[in-house]
Amino acid sequence: MTFPMNASRDCARAWEAMPWVLQGNASPEQAQWLDGHLAQCAACRVEYAQQLRLREALALPADVAVDANAGLKHLLDRLDAHDAEVAQPTKARARTAGWLLRGLAAAVVLQALGIGILGLKLYREQGATDYRTYSSQDAARAPAGAIRVVPDDSMKVSEWNAHVHELHLQIVSGPNAVGAYTVVPDGAATTQDELVRQLRAMRGIRMAEPVAAVP
Amino acid sequence: MNEADIEADATDRALLQRMAAGDRVALATLYRGYHGRLCRFLTRLTRRPDVIDEVINDCFWIAWQKAATFQGDSRVSTWIMGIAYRCGLKALRQHGDEPIEDDALYGDRAPSHDPSEDHELRDWLGKALERLTVDQRVVLELVYGVGHSLNDVAVIMQCPVGTVKARLFHARVRLRNVLPDLAGESSAHVGGAP
Repeated sequence: MTFPMNASRDCARAWEAMPWVLQGNASPEQAQWLDGHLAQCAACRVEYAQQLRLREALALPADVAVDANAGLKHLLDRLDAHDAEVAQPTKARARTAGWLLRGLAAAVVLQALGIGILGLKLYREQGATDYRTYSSQDAARAPAGAIRVVPDDSMKVSEWNAHVHELHLQIVSGPNAVGAYTVVPDGAATTQDELVRQLRAMRGIRMAEPVAAVP
Repeated sequence: MNEADIEADATDRALLQRMAAGDRVALATLYRGYHGRLCRFLTRLTRRPDVIDEVINDCFWIAWQKAATFQGDSRVSTWIMGIAYRCGLKALRQHGDEPIEDDALYGDRAPSHDPSEDHELRDWLGKALERLTVDQRVVLELVYGVGHSLNDVAVIMQCPVGTVKARLFHARVRLRNVLPDLAGESSAHVGGAP
């Protein structure tokens, strides 16, 4: 940046200082120095007078009429409108959230009731035992001393009949879907445990177990 | 910054804190306190009263919204003038710049109580500012009109201090070449007026 006038270094310094001296923000030394320079430099005096006039002109009040009260009212109306706009969705959200919460609570209560009713119904259907085994499924209706017997697939009917007669057994049901028979002793001569032991010792008997002994 | 500036800034900060807490009375006080200087500042950008009103409205809307985030790195006046400057530039882009070309604005529209000396000064200033760019007018207004330092102006215009110095320099050089002639024209104009 170069000083526009064909001037001395002091004139350039004076040019730089003028705005701040005019503002009143220059240091006392700077202001004093400028006074001294202006006293001896006609060109800078003219420039300073011009800058002073420019500052006076720029400090005049605005000549475009703008109503401050009307402007403030517009601003406050704008804030009101904004606040109302912000408040509206919040209320709507709160209402929606309230209904959603109530709906969810009702659903939870209904689910709990449903589960309770279903559990009660199952309990009644199944009784105290909550599981069943292959051997226990007919326990309730099987006669006392009943034994479940599963002969091997390769056993001939005659052989099976021979075993039944040999041990004095009576077939009360079977064969079922898996080939199991329910037998009872034909008389009280032998205990259930003894019969089971004998059956298990026989060739061709895949499984033998007392029905009543199954937990 | 002198004593008066420090005191004024402390008052502005207190108002800003109240605004951050939602105090509309503080907003109204700050609005009224700045309305005059913002009006004059914005006339360097546009001559349309409706646009000036809109810019001041936008400026204080932002000040209201951002009051709580004011960091205090600068004076409140610097912060507000910066907001007004940016809102003013945005309004110029939206509404179109209306440079100070209408002499009637400095004559017929001047306040009726305007003394003839002020009238002459306004006329002279209007013709002078016509020769400058918007940025040069803004720098002149902020330095000579409002009394901001170069650093303040740099904050307001969001540019380096060197750029502000260059704008001020070029504005003064341009005016130096035309003002003496304009002074003669103005005197002749006013002198010829009834």
